[in-house]
Amino acid sequence: MALLSVSDISVSIGRLTPLDRIAFSIDPGEIVGVVGESGSGKSLTAMAVMGLLPLIGGKISGGSVHFAEFELTTLTEARYRALRGRRVALISQNPMTSLDPVRRVGEQIDQVSMMHLGLGKVEARARSVEMMQQLRIPEAKIVHGNYPHQLSGGMKQRIVIAMALVANPELIIADEPTTALDVTIQAQIIQIMTEMARARNVALMLITHDMGVVAQACDRVVVLYAGRVAEMNTVDAIFADPKHPYTKSLIGCIPVEGLPPGGLKGIAGNVPGVLNYPKGCRFHPRCTRAIARCGDEVPLLRASGAGTVACHLAEVSA
Amino acid sequence: MDKDSALMRLLRTPRGAISAVVLGVIVIAAVLAPVIAPYGYAIQNLRLANMEPSAAHWLGTDEFGRDLLSRIIHGARTSLAVGVTSITISMVCGMALGAAAGYFGGAFDRAVTVVVDLSWSFPEILLALILIAILGPGLASTMIAISVAYLAQFTRLTRAQVMALKSETYIEATIAMGAGSGHVLFRHLLPNAITPVIVAGMLATGDAIILEATLGFFGLGAQPPTPSWGAMMSSGTAQIFIAPWIIIFPGLAIAITVIAINLFGDALIDALDIRKRLREN
Amino acid sequence: MTTPLVSMHGLSRAFVSSKGMFGESRTMRAVDDVTLGLPAGKVTGVVGESGCGKSTLARLALRLIEATSGSVSFDGVELGGLGPAEMRQIRRRMQMVFQDPYSSLDPRYTIADSLLEPFAIQGLMPVGATRKERVAELLDMVGLAQSTASNFPHQLSGGQRQRVGIARALALKPQFVVLDEPTASLDVSIQAQIIELLERFQQQFGLTYLFISHDLSLVRYFCNQIVVMYLGRIVEVMAAPDARPQHPYSRALLESTFAPDPAKRRIVQPLGGEIPSPFALPPGCAFAARCANVSERCRRERPALADTDAGGRVACHHPNR
Repeated sequence: MALLSVSDISVSIGRLTPLDRIAFSIDPGEIVGVVGESGSGKSLTAMAVMGLLPLIGGKISGGSVHFAEFELTTLTEARYRALRGRRVALISQNPMTSLDPVRRVGEQIDQVSMMHLGLGKVEARARSVEMMQQLRIPEAKIVHGNYPHQLSGGMKQRIVIAMALVANPELIIADEPTTALDVTIQAQIIQIMTEMARARNVALMLITHDMGVVAQACDRVVVLYAGRVAEMNTVDAIFADPKHPYTKSLIGCIPVEGLPPGGLKGIAGNVPGVLNYPKGCRFHPRCTRAIARCGDEVPLLRASGAGTVACHLAEVSA
Repeated sequence: MDKDSALMRLLRTPRGAISAVVLGVIVIAAVLAPVIAPYGYAIQNLRLANMEPSAAHWLGTDEFGRDLLSRIIHGARTSLAVGVTSITISMVCGMALGAAAGYFGGAFDRAVTVVVDLSWSFPEILLALILIAILGPGLASTMIAISVAYLAQFTRLTRAQVMALKSETYIEATIAMGAGSGHVLFRHLLPNAITPVIVAGMLATGDAIILEATLGFFGLGAQPPTPSWGAMMSSGTAQIFIAPWIIIFPGLAIAITVIAINLFGDALIDALDIRKRLREN
Repeated sequence: MTTPLVSMHGLSRAFVSSKGMFGESRTMRAVDDVTLGLPAGKVTGVVGESGCGKSTLARLALRLIEATSGSVSFDGVELGGLGPAEMRQIRRRMQMVFQDPYSSLDPRYTIADSLLEPFAIQGLMPVGATRKERVAELLDMVGLAQSTASNFPHQLSGGQRQRVGIARALALKPQFVVLDEPTASLDVSIQAQIIELLERFQQQFGLTYLFISHDLSLVRYFCNQIVVMYLGRIVEVMAAPDARPQHPYSRALLESTFAPDPAKRRIVQPLGGEIPSPFALPPGCAFAARCANVSERCRRERPALADTDAGGRVACHHPNR
């Protein structure tokens, strides 16, 4: 039984519909990567699950989101608030803006367990320090009393992860958690996050644009393009045999060991904005294999092997 | 392209449209004063002194029997001429100083900053009074006094804009192409810095008109018989109980002009979307 | 190896930060004693993490900032000794493409204006119809529609703006182009487009590139020679893109790069310790605090860059051969 199951949700902001029938699910202890370029709808998907769309004037206009025993689309804000931080946690892209600059980082972690687990000050502090040690923060007791500006970017992101994990949530949504960090720090953070998810049986929705991170960390992958799911499959299948031309091109954009000069191929054109989504398959203007049908008819998500893909070509060849 | 659409956006708001029309009327009145004023501004007729508003003299007459409407229309010339000229001088000098200080930095910048900060800590009126005390009263010294009083504001604003723009990559790109300081300053920095400075100048013109009126009220501005709204109000104080219109109408003229300028400037800020850039100063 | 088009010798740049009126001023050596030749017609990549001095090095190479000590020579001419007029002359032959395509174009200039600016600055402005032709050629070269000429930067996407940036850099047919993380703020699909373009021009015009990046896999794909920097110093020069890194920091960089292949998953051995403050570098090897192979000697004595068997150079007391 999936812990989170997102069924055909559409998101509208005013008259625009930036997300169109997004569907995927995450099991407990599973790491699911949500990939796509900027403008593909990754962050909006996260906001939809977290119930944060009203912040940007949006709403879920169709479909349903099940999390554990809850139907999230009809949940009241008060009950949502009790879920956030306690059972579903968010790690955002920028650790600089997720921390309160005028409060000690340790207190900010303490507060989560005091609020959600009803711990006293002393127990909360002990729990925070333990959490920080598990995240390999050296001299956790000292760092507990530091202010955010005293810490490096990688250390701050570890504090944010500690805040996310400390109340033992069942689902963590990480929105580009390492994009702002240097590569060596990124590698450490990804390592820590995957280890923690596996060790605690936490479901992790990892939003990223980096196919390398996906290959390293994820069990399954959802590929988004211009507000729709293009393809979904296990990580091995996605990389070994991508069914959607977009997935294939996206993987081809990464320089790999031994690629001959001139071997790197970009995808022509740009991701369309929500105001000018093309008719039919939204990828067809950039697709090298598009046929006439692609410009007219929206391809539906269909089962293909262990995964699903929304492409007319995949249908023909199947 | 952006400029036109900003002006259209401005005129579409009620605030922008009304203030633009009022300002237009005032400017036309000032420019065409000799043509549209019903009487000469200096024609005295003591038999008609302190007449209340009537069909012949719409706004009444003053203590010398001069037509108040004509004097207010001519006074608009003085006020606008002093306001616009002195602020233009102030803006040009301020931009030159501010741009040079912000771009070249170093000792020159530190010197400019010290002077600007010092003069910034005096009210404009005080600076103007000091200067007039040195230069002697009159129209020319009023203009010089007002220019100097507002210099700090424009220097400071331009310097801040130039400092911010200096770190933009396109400046570095221009230098990498081999451009010298002149090209960088006149082709990139000033064109990009100028919009907020012009809007600030627009708003300062309203203040300058009040300052000119204040100096005129003290008898330090334009000398009689040249009409000036401030001087007219000053002479009206003696007649305030027998002929209150002599002080009321010039006062209204000042208020309407300044409100219109401020509303227009404010609408311009919104239309150009530069409120943030002005506040950073 | 071909003769270098650009040679840097003992190049250093220090920045002084003063802590207010009463604080002590502190000195940071953003680039410290860099000696490096950029072979003509080849691509030299410089990798390192934020704060390693790679962007400062890029600017020193073009004399966009002045060196504190050391020298740069371009085609045999010492840049530091040139006056403004000579410097302007030589800038025709060396150009730069910037990281942020959003701020590298003047927002008030049309694309045509931006493309003509190098000609205007160098006093080579084409007259009459040739002016339009030049713009058309440049747009065509980087694959932009002709209608782009009258657009303003804000009407273009990041990728399109970067194409304009490249066209502008190549307008005067330079020999040497510094690419300062030209794809760091772009999506991967656009990054690949831009790299394709840069690769093509490099071949076509025999350009010499200095390519600055934080992405080692991209550098290994794109470059002929790879320079790894750490805290202002070169720690390793690899003479071939597929050379095995010998410095522990280069190895850590390589291991931190994930391949898009689940079969190549790895357990990351985290680098211990923190990056030392660039204002207070330790006396020995700057990487000592984070290195797994550290010895007493590393903390005491700074390793010099020494030639390796593979034709590169490495600054390590215990290189991994």
